[in-house]
Amino acid sequence: MNADTAKRVLLVIRHSPYGSSLARASLDAALAAAAFEQPINLLFIGDGVLQLLPEQDAAAIGLRNHARTLASLPLYNIDSVYVERAAADRYHIDLALAPLVVLPLDSHEIHQFMCQHDHLLGF
Amino acid sequence: MIYSLLVLSSHVSGHGALTAAGFARSAIARGHSIRRVFFLDAGSCAGSSTAVFPQDEADRLQPWLALAEDHKVELVLCISSALKHGMLDSTEAQRYEKNAPTVHPAFIVSGLGQLVDATAESDRIVTFGG
Amino acid sequence: MILHTINAAPSSNALADCMAIAEPCDAVLLLGDGVYAALKDTVSCTQLQSSGAALYVLQADAAAAGVLNLLADDIRLIDMDGFVELSETMPRQQAWY
Repeated sequence: MNADTAKRVLLVIRHSPYGSSLARASLDAALAAAAFEQPINLLFIGDGVLQLLPEQDAAAIGLRNHARTLASLPLYNIDSVYVERAAADRYHIDLALAPLVVLPLDSHEIHQFMCQHDHLLGF
Repeated sequence: MIYSLLVLSSHVSGHGALTAAGFARSAIARGHSIRRVFFLDAGSCAGSSTAVFPQDEADRLQPWLALAEDHKVELVLCISSALKHGMLDSTEAQRYEKNAPTVHPAFIVSGLGQLVDATAESDRIVTFGG
Repeated sequence: MILHTINAAPSSNALADCMAIAEPCDAVLLLGDGVYAALKDTVSCTQLQSSGAALYVLQADAAAAGVLNLLADDIRLIDMDGFVELSETMPRQQAWY
């Protein structure tokens, strides 16, 4: 895929990790994009920031550990993800402990960031 | 323009999936083409050949069949979502030794690569969720 | 420029999440249970209006909900053809649900 003409795709992730199947679906989409060398960014807003809590033990409920999957994204050239700063603050989430590098954005920066992408996929 | 649709809406809860089919129909009427409709998560149940709806409600399957038959719209169910929701085509039903396929033949069961491909090929991606 | 589609009742966080980032260059289309956010003189309607974005409601969904005559005056009712037309002029869509 030609990097100059490739569409820029942003996954907008708004749900907690285990309350629905959307979180897993969004990561599966991110990994598929990486496998096909489609440039992709991830933005966690609202309840989506809860996916970044570090001490998840999904074995306790028989599901795949979402934080561990997030931590593996750099192996697929997704080195950092973007986060709504206000949502992280609301939940008192220490982003320094997130499973991978996160870049906080305020509301206006989020809007600008979204507008830098051709396609927004809402999860 | 070239459109693709991403449908996460359940075909039972709410009517997001029917809205998606209506959007596709209107887009075609306005001269656009639909590259692909990709059904993910609960949306994968749109391909059910066995769901039965009450007579006083809209047929959930027919709008998609009409798009496939009349306009050659490609309907793709995400395989990982489809399997979890009991949506198996004949290949998957055999592979997992289940009684019978449950996906209508108008739908293809395939991987997320088809969604990635759609994002690369389309001018617009419209997502339907909730 | 973003076309925001909201398909959840005002009590869900879909509306709040959208309003946190929507700007005047955007459009907001209310679908399904989202139409209730446009009920005249409600807190949610005021929030929508404060965003400065152009506000739309899908007519069929408003009719189903029984709110066709209860919406704020600056809400535009559109049909499916109008929805497609919006998507033509807005380069990207964000689904909130």
